[in-house]
Amino acid sequence: MATSAEAPGGVRAAKLRKTLLGYVPIESPFYRYHPVTRLIMFVFFGVVPIFIDMPEINFALVVCTILLLVWGQADLKRLRIYMPMIVTIAIFMFLVVILAPGNDPTFTPIHIGPLTIYYQPVYFTFASYWRLMAMLFGTILYFSTNRERDMLVALRSLKLPFLASYVVGFSIRAAGMFMEDFNTIREAEQARGLDKSALKLGDQVKLYVMYLVPLFSIALRRADEISHALFARGYNFTGRVGHGNKRSDYILTQYTMTGMDWLVIAVLMTLFVGAAVAEYGFGAFRLPHSPINILLHHLLGLGWPS
Amino acid sequence: MTNAVVIKDLEWKYEHTTQFALRGINLEIPENTFLGIVGANEQGKTTLINSICGLIPHSFNGVYRGSVEIYGSPVLKMSGLEIATQVGLVFADPEAQFTAMTVEEELVFGLENTGYDLGKIKERLDWAVGVTMIGDLLDKSPYDISGGQKQRMAIACVLAMNPPIIIMDEPTSMIDPLGKQFIFDILRKLKDAGDRTIIVVEHNIEQLAPLADQLLLMQDGQIARMAPPAHFFDDLPNIVGSGVYPPEVTSFAYWLKQSGYVPPEQVLPNRFDEGVTLMQDALRNARDNR
Amino acid sequence: MASMASTASTQTNVWAIEPGEIRKPGIIHVVILALFTGIGIVVGTFGSLAVPIGFVSAFWPGQAVQSIGSIWFGGWGAIASFLFPLISNSLSGSAPLPVSIAYIPGNLAQGIIAAIAFRIFKSDPSLRTSKDWIVWILLGAILPNAIGAIWGTGVLLAFGLVTSAAALTTVLGWFIGNSIPSIILGSIILKFVSPLVLRSKAFCKGWWA
Repeated sequence: MATSAEAPGGVRAAKLRKTLLGYVPIESPFYRYHPVTRLIMFVFFGVVPIFIDMPEINFALVVCTILLLVWGQADLKRLRIYMPMIVTIAIFMFLVVILAPGNDPTFTPIHIGPLTIYYQPVYFTFASYWRLMAMLFGTILYFSTNRERDMLVALRSLKLPFLASYVVGFSIRAAGMFMEDFNTIREAEQARGLDKSALKLGDQVKLYVMYLVPLFSIALRRADEISHALFARGYNFTGRVGHGNKRSDYILTQYTMTGMDWLVIAVLMTLFVGAAVAEYGFGAFRLPHSPINILLHHLLGLGWPS
Repeated sequence: MTNAVVIKDLEWKYEHTTQFALRGINLEIPENTFLGIVGANEQGKTTLINSICGLIPHSFNGVYRGSVEIYGSPVLKMSGLEIATQVGLVFADPEAQFTAMTVEEELVFGLENTGYDLGKIKERLDWAVGVTMIGDLLDKSPYDISGGQKQRMAIACVLAMNPPIIIMDEPTSMIDPLGKQFIFDILRKLKDAGDRTIIVVEHNIEQLAPLADQLLLMQDGQIARMAPPAHFFDDLPNIVGSGVYPPEVTSFAYWLKQSGYVPPEQVLPNRFDEGVTLMQDALRNARDNR
Repeated sequence: MASMASTASTQTNVWAIEPGEIRKPGIIHVVILALFTGIGIVVGTFGSLAVPIGFVSAFWPGQAVQSIGSIWFGGWGAIASFLFPLISNSLSGSAPLPVSIAYIPGNLAQGIIAAIAFRIFKSDPSLRTSKDWIVWILLGAILPNAIGAIWGTGVLLAFGLVTSAAALTTVLGWFIGNSIPSIILGSIILKFVSPLVLRSKAFCKGWWA
């Protein structure tokens, strides 16, 4: 639900919502769904690839998450920060499997110039890479379209203990504060004429290391301030108020599960269970069923994969 | 009259320090009165209010002697939750009291902690938002609003919890003149309602004095003076010597008094309109005497 | 002689509970858990993004946060040491949630071993003596990173993300990529920030207070 409902004292709704990884328009279709639905979607995309070896299906899941990002009006430019990771993971995985393929006489050697690679471990690595990508894009989807508040609401709706949900929410906020403090220190140095580009790499590293001391000092002061504020507002560990009653959760009342939420959850759960049963009961998503694997086997004259 | 706060022989020394920050504090604050606390920096003002709201000794390490009672209950033995239902504290730095990610969550956080049911929470939220006029900020991050808005939100958080005692530690120290006026307007509304004990630490005596029933001067960890605003500045040179500057109208009236233009028994004004009346009387007397 | 030794150890033992000293877990500890998790999220995320080599970073300063957090804040720091990688791995894209969950025992070990070592050997987090330095480098940085690297590689093997033939390379990359920042950053932070932490109410002489 959108939290921009008419409020006492005036109405001024923000156009964009700051999510954990960027901004999403307040009209994003994602916000028609309850945070619990969105969390279950995250778990679905994060866990289902474990059941699936076939790179084609994991690739389809990646495409699906990208389409969901587009549908949710998320800023796809933010994905650029993941490019180094996506590329280096691929380099790492393939380099390792080419240089250290293992010693198995059943492996099929392929000679590329002076280099000999082995088909089976390389294809396994190719499949593993797409499984990893599917899981990563599921994570990116969630963090790009949800706020700390959405995560908290979902966790509390799922009855996570109050203390645990509070720590999770607050730690994400603390990360933001830490970044802000870091920027403040950097800006202060620039204001005093520090030209980082003129520094040697070693000096730059030294500079970053030295940032940590004031940053940790600020964090300690903050810990004091926040604990005083929590004390002054009657906070306790237990999530209980006087006479042992459970504390009210006002924010949860701002969200309601609709029929569409239940439908989406039912579909996701069915697909999840279906995927698990298909894999562990019938081996439906294993590499021998991969069309690309079958094609390559035939091209290499290896017959049907087993 | 019932006392909201009674402090007896209070002494406090912070851990890792050598000197007591509070020494021999004895104080009674009657229910539903307005106490203004003034003094130079590092004289014990914040330490005193931290003792009243229980942060001392519950959240600080140190040596604690004497007692602080809230409506007859010793703070030392009360839980944080019990204290929070009795005393609300607005911090000098509003950002220091943020605990949530949106203004709305921030406002309801204390209400949730102190056991209000959902209907009452909504009612209190709407009321506090109305008094402080922050309805358009509910969906925003507390970190993304202006200094004045932050302070209004901090006050709204405390008002929402509806404690019988409200303490504000330099509530206008970090905001612009317009924002300051807004805060004092809220204080005026609270004072006029007359159903709360209000304790405010503030350097802006010009605005504080007209609101306060009593002014208290902290100096060197002790209560150096406590009197109604009309008599607080009777010993003006000593007050100024302690780093506290009276309202200009009071200083001017004091000069008139010292110079013989107004009679020695004249009560010193602390509001501009009182000063105008005093001046008119002085001019009339001068004309009549001529 | 015995009494002299005892006096010396009392002077430098920051872990000793003074007579009459009451230490109880409080709100400050929950706050420090969350704050340290937040710091770990930032340091871990940017560490992974800065110098990535596949699943492991060639310079992951998150490990330094795990060790020093556990040394200073006992159990609270230990919890933070496995909590923040769950989020920082997701944000940086270095590991999906199921893999991060499987990393938990390794991340816990990467934090808690330093805390145990400092408490057993009564080492000062401000690294004042050569004994403090030895305990820090051997038991606070090298041993936990060795255990963490072995566990983490085991997880990657279990998820089929590396082949068994690549396991040794991964262990070494992991170990080196964590140990170097741990020693460099950890030493600086311990040396310069510990005196401040020891005066704070958040510092845990025991495991929870």
